This record gives sequence, C-alpha cells and structure tokens, in this order.
Amino acid sequence: MSNDFAQFQDAFFEEAAEHLAAVEEGLLQLEQHPNDLDLLNKIFRSAHSIKGTAGMFGFAAVAQFTHKMETLLDLLRNGQKAGSPAVTDLLLKSTDCLKTLIESAQTGSGIDEETVQRLTADLAGASASDAQPAAAPAQPSRADRTYTITWTPPDWLFQRGLDPLQIMKELNDLGRLAKVVLNTSRLPDLSDLDPERCYLSWEILLTTGKDRKVVEAVFEFVREDSVLSIEECETSSVKPISHSDVSVSRDTNDEQCVEDGEPTPLGEILVESGALSRDTLDKALAQQKRVGEILVEQKVVTPQQVELALQKQRQQETAVQAKKSDATSIRVDTDKIDKLINLVGELVITQSMLSDLGSRFEMRQLPVLLERMAQLERNTREIQERVMGIRMLPIGTAFNRFPRLVRDLSAKAGKKIQLVLSGEETELDKTVIESINDPLTHLVRNSADHGLELPEERLDNNKPEIGTIRLNACHEGGSICITVEDDGRGLNREKIIAKAVKQGLIAEHEKLSDDQIWALIFKPGFSTAEKVTDISGRGVGMDVVKRNIESLGGTVSIKTTTGQGTTFTLKLPLTLAIIEGMTVRVGKETYIVPLLSILESIQPKQGSVKTVVGRGELINVRGSYLPVIRLHEVFALQPEHTEPTKGILLILETEGERVAIMVDEILGQQQVVIKSMEQNFRKVEGIAGATILGNGTVGLILDVRGLLEIAQREEAVAV
Amino acid sequence: MPASARETSIKECNQAAGRTTDGNQFLTFNLGEECYGVDILRVREIKGYSAVTKIPNTPAHIKGVLNLRGTIVPIVELRTKFGMPTVEYTAFTVIILVVVRDKVIGLVVDSVSDVLNIDKKDIQPPPQFGANVDVSFMSGIGKSGEKLVALLNMEHLLVDGDMSESSVPTGEA
Repeated sequence: MSNDFAQFQDAFFEEAAEHLAAVEEGLLQLEQHPNDLDLLNKIFRSAHSIKGTAGMFGFAAVAQFTHKMETLLDLLRNGQKAGSPAVTDLLLKSTDCLKTLIESAQTGSGIDEETVQRLTADLAGASASDAQPAAAPAQPSRADRTYTITWTPPDWLFQRGLDPLQIMKELNDLGRLAKVVLNTSRLPDLSDLDPERCYLSWEILLTTGKDRKVVEAVFEFVREDSVLSIEECETSSVKPISHSDVSVSRDTNDEQCVEDGEPTPLGEILVESGALSRDTLDKALAQQKRVGEILVEQKVVTPQQVELALQKQRQQETAVQAKKSDATSIRVDTDKIDKLINLVGELVITQSMLSDLGSRFEMRQLPVLLERMAQLERNTREIQERVMGIRMLPIGTAFNRFPRLVRDLSAKAGKKIQLVLSGEETELDKTVIESINDPLTHLVRNSADHGLELPEERLDNNKPEIGTIRLNACHEGGSICITVEDDGRGLNREKIIAKAVKQGLIAEHEKLSDDQIWALIFKPGFSTAEKVTDISGRGVGMDVVKRNIESLGGTVSIKTTTGQGTTFTLKLPLTLAIIEGMTVRVGKETYIVPLLSILESIQPKQGSVKTVVGRGELINVRGSYLPVIRLHEVFALQPEHTEPTKGILLILETEGERVAIMVDEILGQQQVVIKSMEQNFRKVEGIAGATILGNGTVGLILDVRGLLEIAQREEAVAV
Repeated sequence: MPASARETSIKECNQAAGRTTDGNQFLTFNLGEECYGVDILRVREIKGYSAVTKIPNTPAHIKGVLNLRGTIVPIVELRTKFGMPTVEYTAFTVIILVVVRDKVIGLVVDSVSDVLNIDKKDIQPPPQFGANVDVSFMSGIGKSGEKLVALLNMEHLLVDGDMSESSVPTGEA
C-alpha cells in the first residue's frame, strides 16, 4: 500500500510543512488570545491533518507524536483544560519536535530520541492532568460523569408532536453537552421521504453531575419504541472518544471530513451513523474478523448499511488522494492566469497579423511591419513580466517565522520585545524569498541580542520598557527594500573602532566616515558583544548577511543613532533571472551594466579628469571627485579611445560608493536574462554573470563592486 | 533475445571487424602532428568552431565562453594550454565538449580523427621528461598500430586555477 502512495509523499511533506507553519502561527496567536476557539480549531485541524496523512503514509512516529499533541489540543478546545503559557510553550516545543520528526521521515536523518520521549511524556502528563479541570463555570465538577447516549427515536416522533430539540435542551440543562451528533444515514431519497416520519438518530456526549436516572427521565415521553442506550464512562476514558471528536462533529458534511485527510474507519462510521454502539463495535473488533461481516452476522446492521459505510470510506480515500496530488503544484492566483491567457491571445493575433503581412509583403508596407513588430515586442515584454509574476510570492511567507523567533529570543535574553511587521503583501521572486530567510534571521537576532537593551536599562534611559523590532518591506523603483529596525541602543562608534584597531582592521588614528565605520561590522569575525551568547556574538553572521545579500545582487546599508536605534536596509532586485541592463562597448567587446547601479553617464570635458600621484584619476562630477576606472585597463583590453573626453564615463553607485567607469560607447538598453557562469566555469572577478545577446553570442554582465575592488587593488600595488 | 546473447553477438561482430571490446574507447584528435585521446565517455558533443566571448583576467588558454543552447560553456585552447604555438583556425578546427566534474567544457583542437579501442595492455604510464615538460595532465601513452596517442587526464588537465576561484590573486599578493 505504501508503494502506491510513494508518488504522493512529496506532496505530504509539502503539506505537512504548511500545516506545521499553520500550527505554529496559530499557537503564537493563541498566546495573545487564549480563548479564541476558532484559533484552537484551526490549530487542531492542522495537527489532525498531519496525523491523518502521516498515518496513511506509514510514518508511525509522526502520527503517534501528533496524536499526543492532538489530545492536549482537544482538551484545550473542549475547555477541559485551560490554556497557559506553559502549555503553549510545550505545544510550541512539540511543534519543533514534530518538525524534526517529519524531516527525519523525509531525509532519513537521525532524530533526538530523548527529546521525543521527554516531550511525549510531557504531553501525556499535561493531558492527564485534565482530570482536574480548570475552574470555569461550565466545567464539570469532580463528581461529574460522562454519558454516551445513543438515541434512535421512534418513527412516530413527529406524528405525536414531540420535538427532539426539546430533549436536547433538557439534557443541556442537566449539564454540559460535549458533543451532539445528528445521524442522517437512514434518510431515504426525497421521493420516498415521508415528512411525518422520523428518520434521524443522535449520539450525545453529556457531562453532568446528575444521576443516570435523571438522564433517563428526560427521554420519558419517547422511551416507548425508542432505541436508547445510555452508557456511563469515566472522565479519563472520554479522551479516546473525544479525540475522534473532530471527524465526528463534522461528519454531517462529507467534504469537511475529508479535509481532515484521514479516512474514518468503518466501525467508527457505523457507530456514528447510530447503526451500532461502540461497545458492540469493540466486541466485534475483538473477534478479529472483518467488521462488516461480523456485524451482519450478528444482525446488528444490515448488509446495506455496511455497503453504504464502505462506500463512504472509499469516497473519502479517493478524495484524500486527489487532494494530495494537487498539493505539489504552486498556488497561483487565477487572476494572474487569466491575464496571462488574455496576453497569449493577443500574442497569437499579433503573430497571425505578421505572418499575413509576410506572405504578401511589399516594400511600401514597411511602416506597417515596423508597427506590428513594435506590438510584438510589447506583447512579449508584457508576457515575460506576467510569467515572472507567477513566481512572485508575498514576502509575508518569509516574515511569518519571525514572531516565533522573537518570542523565543525575548524569553532567552530576558528582554521584552514587540515585533511589528508591515508590507507583508509586497511580492518578490520565490527564490529571492528563500535566500533572504537566513540574512533576515541574522539581522533580527542581532537586533534582539545586541540592539535592544534590557528592560531596566531601557527604563533608565526614558524609553518604553518594551523594545520594538520593525520589519518592513516595500517596493522602491525596480527593487525591493526590506528594513529591520530596532529602537535599541544603536551602534557604538568607539567600541567598533577600538575593536577594529585591536583586530588590525584599521590603523589606530585612521580617519573614517560614519558609513565606513558601520561597514566594519560586516567584516568576518567582527563582534563587539562582550560575551558570546547563545543567540549571537560570535562574529559570524553579519559578514554572512552581507555576502548573501550581495550574491543576490543586493546591498545592505546601516543607519544608526546612538541611544535611538539601528536600521538595516536591504535592497534587493525583484527577481534574479532578468535584469534591465545597459549594453556598452569597449574595443570589440560588449558588456552589460546593470541599469540599477547607473546614476548617469557623461562625456567629460577637456581637463576635467585630474590625476593624483601621477596615476589615480579623478573626475569632478557636480562638486565631488570620483575615482575613474578605465574598463580597458582593469580588463586588459584594446580600447578604441584612451582619451576620457572621447569615451563615455558611466557614473555607478555601489553600497554608497560612487565611481566613474570609462567605456568607448553606449550601445543601448535591454532586458537581459542572467545565465550562470559558475555552472560550467567559475566566478570571475568583476563579472556578475553572463547573458545571451541578440546575435547569439555571450555578453558579460559587469559586477560594479568587483570592478572597484580590482581597481583599488591595482592602485595599491602601483603605490 | 536475452541481453547476454546480444552482447556476445556484438562482441563477435567487433572481433570480426578487428576490434576488441576490452579496454577503453578514446576519441582521438590532432594538435599539429601530435595525436591525443580523451575517454569517449567524457565527450558530450563535437561542434564546429564559433566565435567566443573573452573573459577578462583569466589565463591565456581560457579562450572565452560560448553560448551552447542557452548555457554558458568555457572554451579552452589546448594549444595554448600545452604551450604550443597557435595556428589559424580552419574548417577542421572543432570544439570537443567534455564533461569534467559535472561541468561542461569545450576544447579547441585542430581536428578530430577517430574513435579508437585501446587495450589496457597497450597503455603505458606517462613518460618522465623532467621539470621542463609537464606531463601531469597525461594519464598514459596508448599504442594503436603505429600511432602514438597521448591520453589526457581531464581531471588534471584543468587544474584549480582554471576552474575555481582559489588561485585568483588576492589583495595581499
């Protein structure tokens, strides 16, 4: 059986990850709103789905563990146990554990048996203590008993003017109705339906302090001809029943039940349909025969009833499988697809117009041809944008993990931290989102550990006790801007300088601008934290952040005010696959400069390029002198012009530094698809990647930062 | 027909044609008068020479990169790599695309000649010439009739300096 499911396994892991995220998110929200039943239900459903599907795929460890979590969640949901930070904490830890369990099921990696055991025990302990229910008005007292009532009223119930609802109300007055399930399985087709006959039956779970006789008395008037069983069960023994509660209470709706992902066992279905009681089922199960056969033999149910239940089971199974295979695909707004289809339609029309024109072309139609070519270009460009848009996801998916992170961090560091997220709906490429997770985590950790002060220190400085970390995302031109802002102590200029001097990164009395000083914290191994904590301070991190962001073609910048806080700004391209580029020529070679880094291009006047120490060239651009890099020198090419006044200077900006790059000529502007050089070759300094040009040859994309580094190095060697 | 039977018949065919299936097959090519061979299993395809894009600041034997149906492939000029004089490209000049460490690399050679079966016993270890002739990229010398084939060890042919960043000079250099 498991082999048949192998193809769905990927879908399972994907879905499990989604459910896990939902559980985690829900639990975090639950901390703020402990009494939100909707939320609990949501968490429960997700957990239940994991359990169900894990069981189906044979991941017993996952299913068992989730079952333990579910038991506890169910108690919370039924109000049999009150939520507390300790419980939430336990559940969050269990979620982490579950995550590793699922990972190990996926990759076969080892699991920390000890943690699993401990958490399992903790969960069981927390669930067991529910026998002492929390003090809430609706809670049953210690002497309370739980009755399982299965009631199939007589056919003539309505004819005598009796209302089942009245009975429910009376039962409710006796105590608490934990569960009422209406069973409609005996309902005939509409054509056969006699409106005056009662086809319904109920299963009721009642918790009450009253005696059995009192409960029976409620059914006094309908006792005659009714099939009524009232069974008392110990509160503790309620648990296994109530855990199946989810599937039961939603049983009236097949689809919803299927959403749970776990096909209900046949016996359960029969019990729920009122065709037999749980006791009878247990006895039947004990006989180790096929449940259906035994039941028919014992004349408890008719073969038709079994057939019906079997059908129901099959339906659920197929529906679950269908759902699983769907989950492998990416979710895209239908809106996006509709627009795409419209565009493709336009493209087809343009294409047919062009081929029509081509079949009987005359020279005087040239303007028409050009116009249609322009239309084609417009169509293509738009389709390209839309197709890229399919890969776009809201950045909220990356932000979602931070509430948990910040919660854990604040607990660990003994700080009070509030996390404010904004701009979660900002869309960017899926691959970018995936690769900014780590850098963002580093930055948030950093803010929590280094940035924010302890509550006492904050109060001493007239700041609110609770520190704030803000995560914001927004579009800025063709790029996306993500800021991580804290209102902590800010970067300490003196400390950084002292540390940098100690580590030999700078000379003792070197004059540095603020930006240059802040940039020091991105050096590998740099940390000003006095002691290494669990969270950060080892000095690995910031350099990784910088490297990761730069490898995505982005930049990191810092703004900080002592005592007021620090803001890290990440600027990233929307997508990694396509950039807008300017094609330039040096000698015979063509290069592409990312348009984002170009500020302007100028043709310098005679004498505006000055030299210092006979070599270093500077150009005055609106009052400030910028170093000039001759591309042909850096790349050792044979240029057309060696005189700056004949060539073109591109003023480029990278990480706040500006530089002029000299080329022979600007050829034009175009969108280029970035191809990897590293796939078959290696990284080349000064080259960010390659692309295929219009004539089929390879064009190299310049890496401005790299160029600057080469130039600086050459200068250093020259001096 | 069972697979083993088919194999036997292929073997017989080969033997009838004077070939053996033992040993390895090599694609041989020429650089001037010299004949070289690469393991046929490494060869991805052979294509005519087309213009490449130069990569700045790379060793001279890295001729540039080429667009191979959308992927970027580096091209190595073998003559330069071996320190032989360069020649004009002719209609016979081809690029042999080989796979080395999961990367596709193009080798520019004067011409391809043949696919040869060379028995293990006909392969002798590379000769030692002393310091002035580098033979580290050779895996052996193969004999095929009167022909001498220098068999290339692709893993060693393209050393770290060519294919990875490690040898790029750093600022302290």
